[in-house]
Amino acid sequence: MEVIITGANAITSPYLHIWDWRVAIYLFLGGLAAGCMVMSAIANLRPGKSVAPDDPCCWRVVILSPIILNIGMFFLFLDLEAKHNMLSFYTTLQPLSPMSWGSWILLLIFPAMIAYAFSVIPAENREVLRFKGLIKFAEQMGRHLRLLAKINFAFGIILGIYTGVLLSSFAARPLWNSSILPILFLNSALSTGAATMILMAHKNEVKLFFTKVDIWLIACEIVVIGLLFYGQYTSSAAARESIMPFFTMSHEYFPYFVSIIALSVIFPLAIVLKFSEMAGEHSETLSLRQKLEMNVSAILVLLGGAIIRFALVYAGQLSKFTGLS
Amino acid sequence: MAVNRRNFLKCAAFTVGGTALAGSPFVKATSLLAGKDIQHVPSFCEICFWKCGLIARVEDGKVVKLEGNPQNPQSRGKLCARGQGGIGLLYDKDRLKTPLIRTGERGDGKYKKVSWEEAYSYIAEKMNTIKEKYGPESMALFAHGTGGGYMANFIEAYGSPNECHPSYAQCKGAREVGFSLTFGSGPASSSERADMSKSKVIALFGTHLGENMHNSHVQDFTEGLGKGAKLIVIDPRFSTAASKASMWLPIKPGTDLALILAWTNIIISENLYDKEYIEKYAQGFDELKESVKGYSAAWAAEQTDLPEADILEAARELGRYKPNVVLHPGRHVSWYGDDTQRSRGIAILNALLGSWGREGGLYLAPKVKLAKLKKAHHHPEPEEDSITRGDYPFAYGGITTEVRDVTISGDPYPVKGWILIGTNLIKTLPSVPKTIEAIKKLDLLVSIDIMPTDTVMMSDVILPAATYLERHDELMVVKQKSAGVSIRQPVVKPMYDTKPPWLIAKELCNKMGLGKYVEYNTLEEKLRKLAALWEVDYKKLSEKGYIPLANTGHPYITKDNPPVFKTDSGKIELYSLALEDEDFDPVPKFTPPVEPPEGMFRLLYGRSPVHTFARTINNPRLWELKKTNEVWLNADMARQLGVGNGEKIALINQDGVKSEAGLAKVTERIRKDCVYMIHGFGATSKRLSRAYKNGIDDQQMITKYTVDPISGTSGMRVNFVKIVKEV
Amino acid sequence: MSKYAMVIDQSRCIGCMACIVACKAENDVPPEMFRTRVMDITKGKFPKLRTEYRSELCNHCDDAQCVTACPTGASHNRDDGTVQIDRKKCVGCKACLAACPYDARYINHEHGYADKCTFCTHRVEKGLEPACVATCVGRSRIFGDLSDKNSEVSRLLAENEHRVLLKEAGTKPQVYYINRYPNHK
Ligand SMILES: Nc1nc2c(c(=O)[nH]1)N[C@H]1C(S)=C(S)[C@@H](COP(=O)(O)OP(=O)(O)OC[C@H]3O[C@@H](n4cnc5c(=O)[nH]c(N)nc54)[C@H](O)[C@@H]3O)O[C@H]1N2
Ligand SMILES: Nc1nc2c(c(=O)[nH]1)N[C@H]1C(S)=C(S)[C@@H](COP(=O)(O)OP(=O)(O)OC[C@H]3O[C@@H](n4cnc5c(=O)[nH]c(N)nc54)[C@H](O)[C@@H]3O)O[C@H]1N2
Ligand code: SF4
Ligand code: SF4
Ligand code: SF4
Ligand code: SF4
Ligand code: SF4
Ligand SMILES: [Mo]
Repeated sequence: MEVIITGANAITSPYLHIWDWRVAIYLFLGGLAAGCMVMSAIANLRPGKSVAPDDPCCWRVVILSPIILNIGMFFLFLDLEAKHNMLSFYTTLQPLSPMSWGSWILLLIFPAMIAYAFSVIPAENREVLRFKGLIKFAEQMGRHLRLLAKINFAFGIILGIYTGVLLSSFAARPLWNSSILPILFLNSALSTGAATMILMAHKNEVKLFFTKVDIWLIACEIVVIGLLFYGQYTSSAAARESIMPFFTMSHEYFPYFVSIIALSVIFPLAIVLKFSEMAGEHSETLSLRQKLEMNVSAILVLLGGAIIRFALVYAGQLSKFTGLS
Repeated sequence: MAVNRRNFLKCAAFTVGGTALAGSPFVKATSLLAGKDIQHVPSFCEICFWKCGLIARVEDGKVVKLEGNPQNPQSRGKLCARGQGGIGLLYDKDRLKTPLIRTGERGDGKYKKVSWEEAYSYIAEKMNTIKEKYGPESMALFAHGTGGGYMANFIEAYGSPNECHPSYAQCKGAREVGFSLTFGSGPASSSERADMSKSKVIALFGTHLGENMHNSHVQDFTEGLGKGAKLIVIDPRFSTAASKASMWLPIKPGTDLALILAWTNIIISENLYDKEYIEKYAQGFDELKESVKGYSAAWAAEQTDLPEADILEAARELGRYKPNVVLHPGRHVSWYGDDTQRSRGIAILNALLGSWGREGGLYLAPKVKLAKLKKAHHHPEPEEDSITRGDYPFAYGGITTEVRDVTISGDPYPVKGWILIGTNLIKTLPSVPKTIEAIKKLDLLVSIDIMPTDTVMMSDVILPAATYLERHDELMVVKQKSAGVSIRQPVVKPMYDTKPPWLIAKELCNKMGLGKYVEYNTLEEKLRKLAALWEVDYKKLSEKGYIPLANTGHPYITKDNPPVFKTDSGKIELYSLALEDEDFDPVPKFTPPVEPPEGMFRLLYGRSPVHTFARTINNPRLWELKKTNEVWLNADMARQLGVGNGEKIALINQDGVKSEAGLAKVTERIRKDCVYMIHGFGATSKRLSRAYKNGIDDQQMITKYTVDPISGTSGMRVNFVKIVKEV
Repeated sequence: MSKYAMVIDQSRCIGCMACIVACKAENDVPPEMFRTRVMDITKGKFPKLRTEYRSELCNHCDDAQCVTACPTGASHNRDDGTVQIDRKKCVGCKACLAACPYDARYINHEHGYADKCTFCTHRVEKGLEPACVATCVGRSRIFGDLSDKNSEVSRLLAENEHRVLLKEAGTKPQVYYINRYPNHK
């Protein structure tokens, strides 16, 4: 077949390239923030013994998450072509547009995150707030810590799912248009959140707890990634086409091929490391080697999460409905 | 230029009404609009020579849109892509902006800006010395397009008989000669008279309509197809037209005459011809019958590499639907040097099928007798004969290649000065080396042009012309089924320091003391006089852009509208007495073309629907649709050569000339023995920011051409190329 | 209420590209950007070939995915059956570009808003044909009102076998294609 197209737009031809690293980073950081919200909530809500006050992760991560989310949204903002019309996001609610409720969710999440952040500041540290009003606010919030944690847990889940739905809602882009995508993104969000906890925690008890959590999450993640590709492969011709870049060893598809290889190394490696952390004696303080293992595996998980976002954002734009020509 | 008040008021009204519901974006938009001064100015196009009627929308003095004039039959409310893109020429930043005089060597592009006065003085001085040293006949004019007439008047007044036109020898000359020899007149004036919208069968030899985008002609074509006309396309390439055909005959290049003669034979021997018509109007039938009887379908199949069955079927289709069939006369027919005889062959077939003067055939020219303005001063009789006809007995137009050869040889007399208007010879004439050699012999080369083209940048003096959207030109008499008058008038004022060609010619005449030969102060003054003489209301004309001339249309033969054949015999000459007198074949005979040597391909060329020759390549609005050309190469041959689609290649022709590197288009859409490319690409002028070094120039590869002994036109499809990979 | 639609008779498209150039001038489309394109698709092997010419533009879908995806309501279905963009609301998020199965949209980089074919409503409101239709040399593009049973578009659809592009995308396009292939020899 010989095809000549006269009058094609560079932005959609030969394939879509509307979104780049900015959006990929947004999706990653959005997910990371979501994960942090959920995991920090878990830390603070753990039944029975409350590790909250005396392990820094339980409040540092909470304070970190709105900052992470903000940075993420900044990258999204960078991607908007008509920034001067920003406000029109909030003059309407488009019930069927993920991006529309996404923008509203982000708006609602913030107060909750801020309140939560204030609530977890340990009493002895509240002085750093200096202003009376703020200190008072922190005290009040402190009383509702558990409630705020629950709210943030819920919002975290929603945010995690949203970052996936954003892409999966585009029927025109077969790779994205999979109901597994939001689950993968949520899953990845949670695992990166757990990883952050591990990095931030001091108490090995806490580190070990989230290491256990992370093992499960990564295991799931590997399965879900498998399911995503399997689902595409067994679906329409276009869907099958859409995963080709990941399994084609060619110049133009090289990055995708590499990304799939990287993932299939990173996650198993992370798990292995984690098991070796679990094994062996655990005194009150962790040996340097254990610490190193834990942190390395945590960083691997974060890396994996980033790779997933980048690979899917770019590869999704290569995929299109067949039959166009 | 009448301001369109209604439009203006409408907008104003909107705002008034609008301000009530203030804030709504709609009102903002219109109130912006309201301020605008919007004019609609009719004129006609010059991006090619179909000269379609246009209506320009001008907002605050800027041309924003060109649309087809519904009244004008050349356009019928539509413009082709190129016509739409005319604005791109008007506002092309690369335009010639001031007169220039060469300071460096020819071709090294060094010029100094000068005033018009200086430019005129320079030209006048040179032309006077040429006149003294060699005589006025040593100046020659090369012209194409509406500007030509004014310059013709100029050099005739100066005393030279030497004017030539690429639109004759490199274009339709042989067709006009071939048809005139047969019917006593050619099939074309401002438009080929193929009645395709009513045809039952259309046959195209080459004639790649759809790529050849003469507006109303293509409208007739698609209209005919829409009504279910059968289309037979004879073309070695699967052209756009071929893709619409009910029968595509991928003929071996150069063998069309064999097919034509076989069809003639079949149509006669199977009694498919229009007996009554032939008896009544034609002469020499028996001689024709006798001389073609040898040409069987089997023989033609051999020669043309086409299936015998298809050849027979096509002939019978034509016979079945006669006389409402047309074998298109073509336009660019300067192919192989046997072009007059091929055109004769096509003319004879049309005659046999009785299509001349019949519905769906070749309709009759409208009857228009328009008086000329009386001239007070007549041009001096040239002392020397014109060299422009060479010794080609039937040449009726100035042969560019003849003038070029004489310039090189100096025989019978030296030619020392050329004036070029509206023609880009380096791209247009076969054998670029010869063109350069001739230019080197000149004492004076003047170019009147709009763009710094390859040829312009060889000139001694460059005079920047105003575009067709910025000037008046002679009234155009449109001749389709009926006639009418169409006007060109400025849509906007000339940009930069440019002038309309009529004014340039007039000022040159004045400069050289020939002022009396231009008998008007402004061209518009002359147009008004002409209109009055023709009883056309000038005001109405300038408002409407086109005025039909009453009862000029008698397209078909009827009892009271018999055809007139201005041949020696007064009849259709199937057997040409005129040719016989000059010892040419009175009935066409076929001589097989020279085959491409092993490993080489015949070089063919044609049009892009969005470009006109070389002249539009730099036009941003058209360039963005077709930025470069490719070399069409048959897929199997490409495989053998190891050339992939879109890969870099170059051509080397039989004379060892190597082309610039270009792209290969590997395709099933062409025969194995030829390659094809779009003409006009590969500009060498650095000042054409978009066209420069862009694509392959077919002309560069056409170093060889065979001259048609009857018409003197150039056969340009006689070059062979091999393909080499580039990196 | 009118229901605007376009019928494209591919057998009459001669690939002249007049539509593209006219559209750009009429709608002031920036260089290198396009609201309509022409496909030239050849199948088969020499000498048995078939080339299809097909001009494409926004399909003004009844179930427009671009509208669904738009977070600001800038993209909307109008009750005249067309799909339009309110430039003052558009944030240039490009969700609509991702959502359109026909790649009918582009971003006007001079102003940042998403843009596409409007069916030339500004002309239609004045009783004119869309620019591409008005200049269509092959009379391949026919524009009209489907709610009027006597309109040329209604007639053409009634009389001819027709299709839409990417039916499977389920957007209910309002640009219809008819094609009568010549019987090749
Ligand atoms: N868009 C556009 N349209 C134009 C022009 C333009 O510049 N641009 N120029 C106008 C002018 S001035 C002219 S003269 C015409 C020229 O246009 P035409 O008169 O149509 O020119 P041709 O050379 O007949 O057509 C070229 C076709 O002939 C085929 N061909 C090549 N060799 C042979 C052969 O040996 N036998 C047969 N049967 N076919 C062959 C080629 O494959 C190609 O498809 O176009 C006019 N229209
Ligand atoms: N190899 C090859 N050679 C060919 C052909 C081919 O297909 N292949 N085609 C042949 C045919 S059919 C023809 S008709 C000729 C055409 O030959 P030309 O008419 O020489 O071709 P163009 O390239 O259009 O050159 C026109 C020149 O006029 C300038 N011009 C445009 N508009 C105006 C104007 O309004 N005023 C003035 N003063 N100048 C203007 C343009 O800038 C350009 O330089 O070429 C012939 N030569
Ligand atoms: S055919 Fe096209 S380029 Fe030629 S005069 Fe008409 S509109 Fe202009
Ligand atoms: S074609 Fe694309 S842009 Fe046009 S309405 Fe349909 S989905 Fe929207
Ligand atoms: S780019 Fe504009 S029109 Fe498209 S979805 Fe975003 S806001 Fe809506
Ligand atoms: S309808 Fe108007 S906007 Fe749409 S393609 Fe045609 S000319 Fe362009
Ligand atoms: S203008 Fe009409 S004929 Fe020409 S390419 Fe466009 S749709 Fe086809
Ligand atoms: Mo020509």
